[in-house]
Amino acid sequence: MIHLQQVSKLYRTDRVETTALDNINLEIGKGEFVSVMGPSGCGKSTLLNLMGLLDEPSSGRVALDGKAIDRYGDRALSRVRNERIGFIFQQFHLVPDLSVADNVEIPLLYRRMSNRERRKAALAALDRVGLGSRTHHFPTQLSGGQQQRVAIARAIVGRPNILLADEPTGNLDSQMGDEIMGILEDLNQKEGTTIVMVTHDPRMADKTHRVVRLFDGRQVQ
Amino acid sequence: MTRHLLKLVWNRKRSNALMILEICVSFLVVFVVVTMGLFLLDNYRIPLGFEWKHVWNVRIGMGRNEASAGDAAAQQATLTRLFQEVRSLEPVEAAAGSFVVPFEQGGWEGTYKVQGRNVEMGVDRATVDFDKVLGLRLVSGRWFEEPDAAQSWEPVVIDQDLARTVYGTADPVGKALFDPNPGERPFRVVGVVRDFRKGGELLPNGNFLFRFSSLDHPEGQSFRNLLIRVRPGTPAAFEETLVKRMQGVAPDWSFEVQPLPQVRATAFRFFLTPLIVAGTVAFFLLLMVGLGLIGVLWQNLLQRTREIGLRRAAGASRASVHRQVLLEQIVLTSLGVLLGTLLVIQVPILHLIGVLSDKVFTAGLLVAMAAMYLLSVLCALYPSSLAARVQPAEALRYE
Ligand SMILES: Nc1ncnc2c1ncn2[C@@H]1O[C@H](COP(=O)(O)OP(=O)(O)OP(=O)(O)O)[C@@H](O)[C@H]1O
Ligand SMILES: [Mg+2]
Repeated sequence: MIHLQQVSKLYRTDRVETTALDNINLEIGKGEFVSVMGPSGCGKSTLLNLMGLLDEPSSGRVALDGKAIDRYGDRALSRVRNERIGFIFQQFHLVPDLSVADNVEIPLLYRRMSNRERRKAALAALDRVGLGSRTHHFPTQLSGGQQQRVAIARAIVGRPNILLADEPTGNLDSQMGDEIMGILEDLNQKEGTTIVMVTHDPRMADKTHRVVRLFDGRQVQ
Repeated sequence: MTRHLLKLVWNRKRSNALMILEICVSFLVVFVVVTMGLFLLDNYRIPLGFEWKHVWNVRIGMGRNEASAGDAAAQQATLTRLFQEVRSLEPVEAAAGSFVVPFEQGGWEGTYKVQGRNVEMGVDRATVDFDKVLGLRLVSGRWFEEPDAAQSWEPVVIDQDLARTVYGTADPVGKALFDPNPGERPFRVVGVVRDFRKGGELLPNGNFLFRFSSLDHPEGQSFRNLLIRVRPGTPAAFEETLVKRMQGVAPDWSFEVQPLPQVRATAFRFFLTPLIVAGTVAFFLLLMVGLGLIGVLWQNLLQRTREIGLRRAAGASRASVHRQVLLEQIVLTSLGVLLGTLLVIQVPILHLIGVLSDKVFTAGLLVAMAAMYLLSVLCALYPSSLAARVQPAEALRYE
């Protein structure tokens, strides 16, 4: 489904040049639940950004369903991101000026549908993550775990078939982490959502089908 | 999307309040200047009711003994001789005496009771031939004639405005105009002229009443201005000849010649200078507000890079980010304009300014609105294109 061939990513800042990813070859199959592990700074988020079409590789090829992404224009790319990919960020990235429900609705704003349908889908997604009673709160009025669940609801509200999760349990205690993991496993098993999840926690990684290990931008396994 | 933006703007009301206020104040300033301009322009389009191009005014100073009653007869005689002298000059087509001078500030405003209600009007006392000097067009009846002075009623000529106000569609000629004060002769209308706009092109149309000033009658001395129509092409040097000849008749009196085109130019300066000053101030104000808006928008967008990155990740294209920023600005502008409009419509509701017509008022409102939207969108164009260029992966890295 997602195919990375000889993908490298370089960051040039002033004089320093960082190789965030070095010649990565990776194939993520449909319905797979893959975890990505590695020490801080090894390029996990960079890898996820490339798979989520948020960034372009410095060299190599990223393909979605066999079609290279550099073939897409901005509009088409945005559409793929909108309809097929859900992103859960390391830092939640909730919009502080919007209520929980309005935050969750964001991906649906870029689709043709009525306000009522949007609201209905947002409430359903919030129910799914157990936050059905907090829809009118603002992000700052929620705990870290609740914020993470809002972020998950937002990632799944558009029913994407690919979910990219960057340390979705990193900021949570183990009980909350298990709960989130439960939601992801549920999505993977019941809806066949393809999931790539970055994690530091071997317990979480064990629950996935496959572990990709990165070290210093290189794939070590 | 609009609903979403409304919520976003509402939830950010505290940080948006200043911008809304700024837009509201600019809107008010633009409204005032534009309405002022439109008011003058609207007046300018209405026919003036008289011709001024070849008319000169001679201001007569009668010296020290002006007020003394014993000299009234002597003054009357001198005035009559002055008229004869002036009329005999070759370049003079017509001459008439008048209390007021067209285009001059001030004059004579009267409120008369007509059928129980107060009617305001401009008033003049004028002699025979005044209609010829100023090229007044009679719609009905005639101008004053000397025998009118001997009637048991006082003849008056009114303009169409006053005729409409008092008589509606009926012909006023021969009818009495409002009830006389005890001891005075009743007014009787002898003629109706086209709307006479004594204040000039820039002032609104209003009611006007001419009373008769007879040269053969003691009442005749109430004019101090001699209006003269000269033949086209009369050189300015005739001014000197004119004064000399008049001085010959009345050596103690003083004469000051003012061509009406000059008086008119002074009147235009009087009304246009404040408008130009206000317009310039408003222009610089808008410039400052515009630059301020760009700065604030830019600042806002820097603070909201993450939000923009997130929207991009969630499927917003560059174009929709661009549109969102512009739409948000339009929503803010609408709030500022709405606030300003609510304030501005108090003017007609509370009858604060009577002279503004609904048409000018509405047009001023619309132009001010359009100006604010234009300013806002222009100022938002650059920041919004910056926002559209935000790289999602970059934007989402910020903590
Ligand atoms: N925009 C950028 N500009 C410069 N360097 C970058 C940029 N993004 C990432 N890097 C560098 O690339 C490397 C990989 O970063 P990345 O964020 O992918 O690591 P990570 O594995 O997600 O780390 P963590 O576990 O701390 O989130 C790091 O050395 C980082 O400093
Ligand atoms: Mg990371």
